[in-house]
Amino acid sequence: MLKILASLVIVSAGGICGMLVARSYSLRPVELRSLKSALQMLETEITYAATPLAEALGLVASRTDYRLAPLFEETRKELLSVPGCTAKEAWEKALYEFYPRSYLIGCDMAILRSLGGALGITDSSGQSKHLRLAMEQIEAELKKAEISALQHVKLWNYLGFLGGLVIVLIFY
Amino acid sequence: MSHIVYSTDNCRVTIKPSPWQEVTNMLPASIRSMITGLPLNILERLEEIRLRQNRPLILGLPDGDILLDINGKPAVAPRDCYLVTADDIQRVTQSISGCSLYAFGEELKNGFITLPGGHRVGLTGKTVLENGRVRTLKYITGLNIRISREVNGAASPLLPFIIDKRTGSILNTLLFSPPRCGKTTILRDIIRQLSNGIPELNFRGVVIGVVDERSELAGCFQGVPQREVGIRTDVLDGCRKAEGMFMLLRSMAPRVIATDEIGTDEDFAALEGVFNAGVKVLTTVHAASLEELNQRPALRNLLSMKVIERFVLLGRSKNIGTIEEIIDGRTMLPLPAKEVEQCLKYLPAL
Repeated sequence: MLKILASLVIVSAGGICGMLVARSYSLRPVELRSLKSALQMLETEITYAATPLAEALGLVASRTDYRLAPLFEETRKELLSVPGCTAKEAWEKALYEFYPRSYLIGCDMAILRSLGGALGITDSSGQSKHLRLAMEQIEAELKKAEISALQHVKLWNYLGFLGGLVIVLIFY
Repeated sequence: MSHIVYSTDNCRVTIKPSPWQEVTNMLPASIRSMITGLPLNILERLEEIRLRQNRPLILGLPDGDILLDINGKPAVAPRDCYLVTADDIQRVTQSISGCSLYAFGEELKNGFITLPGGHRVGLTGKTVLENGRVRTLKYITGLNIRISREVNGAASPLLPFIIDKRTGSILNTLLFSPPRCGKTTILRDIIRQLSNGIPELNFRGVVIGVVDERSELAGCFQGVPQREVGIRTDVLDGCRKAEGMFMLLRSMAPRVIATDEIGTDEDFAALEGVFNAGVKVLTTVHAASLEELNQRPALRNLLSMKVIERFVLLGRSKNIGTIEEIIDGRTMLPLPAKEVEQCLKYLPAL
């Protein structure tokens, strides 16, 4: 009885691990898509409404996907609460806190980090160019992420359970 | 020192920062600590802070400049001075624009940004041209932060000369002086007092329209005046003077229109329109003497119309805002020196 219970636990644990890995593959494109639309909103606020950056970030945070909202909200809070803080510093601090909680990977973060260096320091056409560049890079990453998700989601879902099963068979 | 503001309606007491505090709050921590460590008598007299990349930090005072060393002490030799870094300039630029330089397109074209409180930051760098006109500034490497002060009562001694004692109406007045002689401060106080009313002169307040193109007179932040400009004053903030004067004439029925630093032909043409509408004008212009005013074609035309009833020359001979001369616009002769002497006696230091 104990052996059966232990086997069930091992298979379930393997399955859960596999599902977690598969989830990271499936949610990365979701986050990238939301990120692209959030940057689109930010561009509109900056170029058409000339909304001050802190206010624009707050508006984006309130309208965007709940997974990405903390990135914009934390940057806004940092900008408003720390005197003399630059947009780059606020953005990087928010990114540092956001990264472990997101499914984005290193190359996505590199795009965002490079965008942070340009936020708020040029005229509206310059801001538009930087944001569009970031959106294009995100679009390219999104395509790669979608292909990767197609390849890996099912694989990891099965692999987790099968891995657990193999361990059970070895030790049974 | 902070100013304590008492609000009588709900017994709330608020601490209003001094003008130098409002400005130093915008500076990076390193420079802020250097400046705020200076004695209060220097800080209270601070007129401007100049930051030029890779060059010394310079503080402008009425009696000359001060260069600071790395410890915030006045430096004697240029080699001991604190040199402003690119990072300092970048931080100040971001701070004054709220990290939103894109929202200051028009201001960048004009080369300055106005801070809450009416302080003006002049910017220099590389201009980007479009069709031969300045589109924006990039590589900002020089900043001049001019501290704006309001001195309530600064215009009191002048008021008897710009109010017609017989009719009780206001005389068209032009304040003129070289830069940094207190034109804006005195004009602001004239506006405040004429708008509120002056019981000592038995003068009831009148509706005043202010076209504040550079946000220096009323120091508006999000449309709300941060400086005391009187209870009957309507402010058009950030509006071109010529356009704004007509807008006020049409919409707010002012008795007086006030504007700072007129200079273009368009401004003078708009002034003519205001005179023709029977509305009085209070304005300022950069010039060191009446002769200099006469040399400028647009101004010469205005002078020949004989519509300005008082010319007031300001200077710094005793302190900033010294009334050097009051000239009657009809005779073009200075008012009796004795009367003007009386002004000087009661003129508070700016």
